[in-house]
This record gives sequence, C-alpha cells and structure tokens, in this order.
Amino acid sequence: MEFLQLSNIHKRFGDFVALGDVSLAVHSGELLCFLGPSGCGKTTLLRIIAGLEVQSAGTIIQAGRDISRLPPMDRDYGIVFQSYALFPNLTIGQNVAYGLVNRRMPKPGRDARVKELLALVGLPDSGAKFPAQLSGGQQQRIALARALATSPGLLLLDEPLSALDARVRVRLRGEIRNLQQRLGVTTILVTHDQEEALSMADRIVVMKEGAIEQVGTPADVYGVPATPFVADFVGKTNLLPAIRSGEDRVQVGAQRFQCHIGNGVANGAGLRLFFRPEDVTVRGVEGATPNSAAAVVEKVEFLGAFSRITFRLNGIEQPLTADLSLNDMAEFRPKPGDTLRVAVPPDRMRVFES
Amino acid sequence: MSSVVIAPPRILFLKVHWSDRIAHAILIVAGLALAVFLLAPLAMILMKSAQNRAGDWVGFANFVDYFRTPALARSIWNSAWVSTLVTLVTIPLAFTFAYALTRSCMPFKLLLRNIALVPILAPSLLAAISFIFWFGNQGLLKPLMGSGQIYGAPGIVISLVFATFPHALMILVTALSLTDARLYEAADALGTSTRRKFWTITVPGAKYGLISAAMVVFTYAISDFGIPKVIGGNFNMLATDIFKLVIGQQDFSKGAVVGILLLLPVAVTYVADSWVQRRQSALLSARSVPYVPRPSRTYDWAMTAYCVLIAGLLIAVLGMAVYASFVKLWPYNFTPSLDHYRMGLVEAGMFSSYVNSVTLGFWCATAGAVFIFVVAYLLEKTRGLDAWRPFVRLMAVLPMGVPGMVLGLGYIFFFVAADNPLHFLYGSMAILVLNTVVHYYTSSHLTAVTALKQIDNEFESVSASLKVPFWRTFFRVTVPVCLPSILDVSRYLFVNAMTTVSAVVFLYSPNTMLASIAIVNLDEAGDIGAAAAMATLIVVTSAAVCFVYFLIQTYFDRRTQSWRTS
Repeated sequence: MEFLQLSNIHKRFGDFVALGDVSLAVHSGELLCFLGPSGCGKTTLLRIIAGLEVQSAGTIIQAGRDISRLPPMDRDYGIVFQSYALFPNLTIGQNVAYGLVNRRMPKPGRDARVKELLALVGLPDSGAKFPAQLSGGQQQRIALARALATSPGLLLLDEPLSALDARVRVRLRGEIRNLQQRLGVTTILVTHDQEEALSMADRIVVMKEGAIEQVGTPADVYGVPATPFVADFVGKTNLLPAIRSGEDRVQVGAQRFQCHIGNGVANGAGLRLFFRPEDVTVRGVEGATPNSAAAVVEKVEFLGAFSRITFRLNGIEQPLTADLSLNDMAEFRPKPGDTLRVAVPPDRMRVFES
Repeated sequence: MSSVVIAPPRILFLKVHWSDRIAHAILIVAGLALAVFLLAPLAMILMKSAQNRAGDWVGFANFVDYFRTPALARSIWNSAWVSTLVTLVTIPLAFTFAYALTRSCMPFKLLLRNIALVPILAPSLLAAISFIFWFGNQGLLKPLMGSGQIYGAPGIVISLVFATFPHALMILVTALSLTDARLYEAADALGTSTRRKFWTITVPGAKYGLISAAMVVFTYAISDFGIPKVIGGNFNMLATDIFKLVIGQQDFSKGAVVGILLLLPVAVTYVADSWVQRRQSALLSARSVPYVPRPSRTYDWAMTAYCVLIAGLLIAVLGMAVYASFVKLWPYNFTPSLDHYRMGLVEAGMFSSYVNSVTLGFWCATAGAVFIFVVAYLLEKTRGLDAWRPFVRLMAVLPMGVPGMVLGLGYIFFFVAADNPLHFLYGSMAILVLNTVVHYYTSSHLTAVTALKQIDNEFESVSASLKVPFWRTFFRVTVPVCLPSILDVSRYLFVNAMTTVSAVVFLYSPNTMLASIAIVNLDEAGDIGAAAAMATLIVVTSAAVCFVYFLIQTYFDRRTQSWRTS
C-alpha cells in the first residue's frame, strides 16, 4: 500500500525551477533514497514533505490524509539533519525526551521510553551526558533516537552521514538500516553518496535538475540504468557515441560491437553505448571472442582491490577504462604502451537512444 | 485554523499553526512600534522642514533661508572639516594600537586594551571637561597653549579623538584578528619583505575594518552634541545649531532643516558601511588559521612604548576629571574634598538626575534588551509573514543611520503635538526609555542576530517535527545558548543610557532630568567642578555595572561550561 503519495510537485524559487512536476509513491515500511548531485532538488523535495518548504503546486497524501498545506506541527514525521541539531544545553536524556514532554507523558513513562531508545541506538549509558561530550557518530545516533521517540509514521533523514568520517559512516549505515528494518518505519533518506544509497535503500530515486531520472531497486539502478545520466552518476562507466548498423550491431568510430538493441530504433540512428569498467575482460580473450579488440594501455592506476586501466581502441578517440582484478594484473602485467586484447560480453553492453 | 491569505491561483501557502500566529502577532506589534517610535518622528522632521512657523506649506523656503544665513551655513563647513580631521587623527592612532594588540608580543595586552576602552564608559563630554581643566583658562597646562585657546575647534577635535578612539579600536582589533595566518606563511615561503607583507596582506585584509572604523568615527564626530556644547565656545557645529534653534529660538522649521542636513552625511556613511559589511563577511572562511605573532625585541618594545604612551594620555584625560571633582576650589585650593559631590550635587538637588539615569539604564537594559532579542529571534528563526519581515528588518537597522540629535528632534515634533494620542508620553521616563532603546537599537540587534545565526537553524524544524511550540524551544534552548550575547546587549544599553546626551537632551522634563544632561547644565552654569563630579559618578557607575555583568557572566560560564566546551 502507498504510505506517501506525491503528485505533480512543482517548486520554483523566482525563475529557478527547483522541482518540475515530480510524482512519486513511497511504500509502507520501505527505505527510499533520494540520490542525486547537489542542486538536483532532493533536499528541497524532502523539506516539502516535511512542510519546511512549500511546494509551488502539487499534493501530498500521507497515510490517506492530504497534508499538502499542513504546517510542520500538524504533520507526522521525525527528522534527522546532517548537523545533528541536538540542543547543546540539554542532556542526551533531555534531548531524546524533548518531544515526549510535550505529549504530557508522565515522567516514569518518559524515562522508560528514553531508556528504551538509548538502548535501541546502542548508547544506553549516555543519558546524563551533554551532546558536546559525544563523538559525531554518537550524536547522530542520539538525533535518530530523538526523532524516533514519538513513534512517527515517517522518518526523514537529510544527509545524515555526510558530516562523519568515512569509517563511522560505513558502520552507521548498517546500523541505521538495521534499526529501520526492525522498526519497519517508512523512511526517506537524502544523499549524494551513491554507495550509501546502494547499500541502504529498498528503492532509489535518482534525481537530476529537479526531475526524477529513475526509480528502482539498487540492482536495477546500477545494472539497468534508465538514462545515460543514471549510468554515469551511479558507478563508473564508459559512455560512447554510437550508430546502429544492424540487427544487434552498433558502430563506434572504426569499431563494431554486438549488443541488444530495443525495437523502434532505426538503422543509422544515433545511440549512446554504455558499459562498466568491471565488465571489460582480458582473460581468455581471442580474436574470435565477440566484441574484442586490441587495446593500447595508456595509464595504470592501482586502487587497492583492483587496478583501473585507461586504454584506447583503434579508431575511437575517447579513452576508455577497465577495472582489472589483482589476479588479472599479476598475469597480464599491463604497462603504459602495451597492447592488450580486451572484450566486453554483448549482454553487458547497453545502448541509450540519444 | 483557516488561512488569512486569499491565495491567488497556483500559489500555495501552508496553513498557519496557531502557535505561529502568536509569533506573527508579536512581530506585527513590534514592527508597528518601531514605525511609531522611529519612522513617524523622522517623517515629522521632513514635514516641519517644509512648513513655516504657522504650519503652512512653504516648500524649500526654509532651506533657502538657511543657506542665506552665513552664520548657520558656516556650521556645515565646520562640522565637515572637524569630523574629517578627527577621523584622520583617530584612525592611524587606533590602527597602530590595534596592530600592537593583535600582531605583537607586547606584554600587558589585556590591561592596555581595557584602559583604551575605558572612554566608552564616560559621557563624551567628560573629555571636554577634562581638557578644560588641563588647558582651559584656569587649566594646569594653560601656559603651554601660548596665545592659543583650547575653546573652539582645537578642544573639540582633541576631545572627539579621545571619545572616538575606543570605538575605532574595537572595530580594528576585530578586523586585524580576522586575518588568515596561512597567507603570511605563504608570503614567508616566498621570501616576502615585512613591508611588502604589510601593504599586500595586512592592509587589504583590514581594509573593510578601516573603512568601517572611519565611518563610525566620522558619524560620531559630526553628530556629537556634548563636546561642542561644553568646549566649543563660539565655534558652531550642526549638532549645537539644532539645539540653539529649537530650544533657544523655538525655530522648529529651521531646526528641522539642520536636522536633515545632519541626517544626510550620516545616512550616506551608513549606506556605504552596510555595503562594506556585506563584503567583509565573505573574507574569512571557517578553515582560516588564526595568526600568532612571534616575539621580536625591538618591535615589541616600540609597540609597548607606543601603547603605554596612549594609555597614559587616556588615563590623564579621564583622571583629570576625576581629580578635579575632588578638589576643593579649582585652581585656588587643591585640598581634597567631597564638596562638589555634597554641595554641588546632593544639596543642589542634582542627585535625583543620577537616580533617573540609573532608572533609565535599568529599563533599557531589561525591557529594551528583551524586546530587541525577541524581535531578532522572531525575525531570524520563525517563518511566515514574509511580506512584513523586510519592513521590520529595515526598522531594526535604520536607527544606526539616524544621529541622536535628529532622533530627539523628531520625538519632540511628534510627541509634543497635543492631538497625538501618544502625547501623554511627553516628559515621562517612558519616552526616554523608548528613545534610548531606538537610538541604540541597531548595534544591539546585530549582536543578537550574530548570536542567533551561530545556532543551528534546524532547531526550530526539529521542534516543529516533535510538535513542540516555538516558545518552548526559545526559553529552553535559544535563550540559554544566547545568554552571553543577551547580557552584552543589556550591558551596552545600560552604559549608553548612562552616557547619552544627544537624543534625550530634547526630551527630559524637570522630573526626568538625567545625569549626563545635568553635566551640560552644570557646565553652562559655570559649576564645572560639580559637572566633573557628575561625570565621575557616571564613569564609576558604568564601570561598576560592567563589573556586575562580568560576575553574572562568569557565574553562568561556570554553570554552563559542561555543555559549552567540546
């Protein structure tokens, strides 16, 4: 069932269109992620859902109730910001209880709830401390506990991990996801970090310039990107201008490749060919291997678990990249200037109409 | 809960929560109050300047008349060159002092700095009184003056330098401490000479501070009333002209003309300054590294010598007024005595004016500070009422551009009119409080805004999501976090209420005579010893109050250090 339904949301700041006709359904209990570069409108959309910004047009239905014009106080959500926004002069316990005090919950019940929440976020003994005495990651967990204290129907997370160290970020990612699944609270997460989106979300909404580019599961968005933008923004990619030259053939410069092309694309039509660096193979590639070619190695970058090779193919101006495993590196030892036979399996190549 | 705004098609408004309506109501009332107590009086000046004594419309006739009176028109030139000269003298003096405080390893920095800031605690005319005791007709150093006279332009200039010095110093210290040490490290790595670093890094970095300080000094000098009144002799300036025209000759129209002439340069510098301020904010990033000076013997000694000399001169000026207030009969009998306090003030019935000043200070420091902070909070942290906010913001920053004499003049024009429903305020303590709060509104407002801007903007969003009304967060979080700045505003208002002369000189009644105005009257009556005693009393009170604030601050710091330090 749709927990939250956004219909035709527009947002204009003067002449600038921040959001142009966005419609979206959020399922009950899922973690939905708004992903996109800065300025794509993802935070604006979140703030509109929270009532912190007003849409220029459009409606929002939450749990069957039209909340389009309700002030934040009359909506039902908890929110966590990048800056934590913990009240510095109140103790952790008072911060978590902040929303409970106002609901006239008696003190024993309040204390029990605070205790329960602090245990839930893994900081059971921090109630008497002040925010400044906690680390960034701990503060963000307290902010989460405060947002969850009143058991809101919707949890909004606005770049909650962006201010943290890389290590803490990865750990907290798992913890938040775990907590969200345990509580089953419908959650919207805003982020510009694709790894965060891929690892945490049930579904990802990729946004660009105020419009939705694709909505799908992490696997869909990564494996079957709907647009060149999504392909390029999520993961590393090689994108080449191509022309359809047959049933399942495209021409790129002097090279021909085999791949699946949808119906309705005329022969000679301009296309964009896309494949990921990790789909380039070097092992067992022969002259007869489909989509194989001689590559001239230009640059080798060691990146830890794998190495990224920049190479050129005869007749294609644009440099391409391939990610080779340590095993491949040990066997083929590519160096700048070497020639190496590479291939991309036809089912790993995709085309976009351009 | 229905919306008041009739939405034109395609533009959406959120319904307003009832708790936000309370914020809006306060904001509307506050804006109206500022309109009544700032805008309406100013509008009255414009109107009066175009009317004759009978109240008929005469257009620019009053201006034409004014410029045809050579004695009056000369005041424009006098005010202009005196203020320019004061600026040219004060800025280099204060810049060097600020440079020593921020860029040298001089000892006793804190002490020297505090001495340099002491003139702020005194009414500006204390300097004038002191210089009369030093160089006046019966002054200790009169022989040094030769055939010259301290009365007139020389006394005005030197007294204004004393009075404006700490104001310039504060701005320049801030500007010089804003420099990024990495720029100097980069210059050192490139082998840059000290002189070149000064002209290519230091001066450009402090450029906006210098401009800002120059404007503050110029504005102060051109609009000060107390100094030219006491030591000016026959040397006329715009500020004294207004007083003579309005109080002496009851010529309201011509007074209004002078008021506008005084308003113009101040308004121009004010606009230029706010332009400069906007530039300055972008200068320093959060990543900047503070500059730490390195010891250098000769240079540090030279800086120390300079600052000790300046501090000595400041103490000499301040000290002379204090000393003279305890002298039995200047210049004939130098035995210490309390005569000026006992006979000159208490027995002459002047002590009530001191009580009035403290009362004024108290109300400004409490009700005034609360009002200013609440308005700043509502402007910065609440939402809605978007059309009204720019007006309230304008009202909050406008007072800076209005000289006290002009504001005071506007108040009499506005409140003296018998058909004004607010006429009952005329001659009351309330009007003095209102006038003083409005007069010093902008600095206080900006202090509050700066403090509020440092608080996370999402506190209000989080509170709303937790369904906590804004006032709860205001009292539980915002006020405790901003307490140091609220105390700053409160102290600033108290000290200024104690020392101000210019606006209130038009507004006091026999029952609400203020200590600072009593100084002017005592001096005019020739009782300069009692005037010095009153000035001393004001300085001591201001200093004591500052000390009390310091204690309160320390107490709260100790209580809150558990959450302030990270």
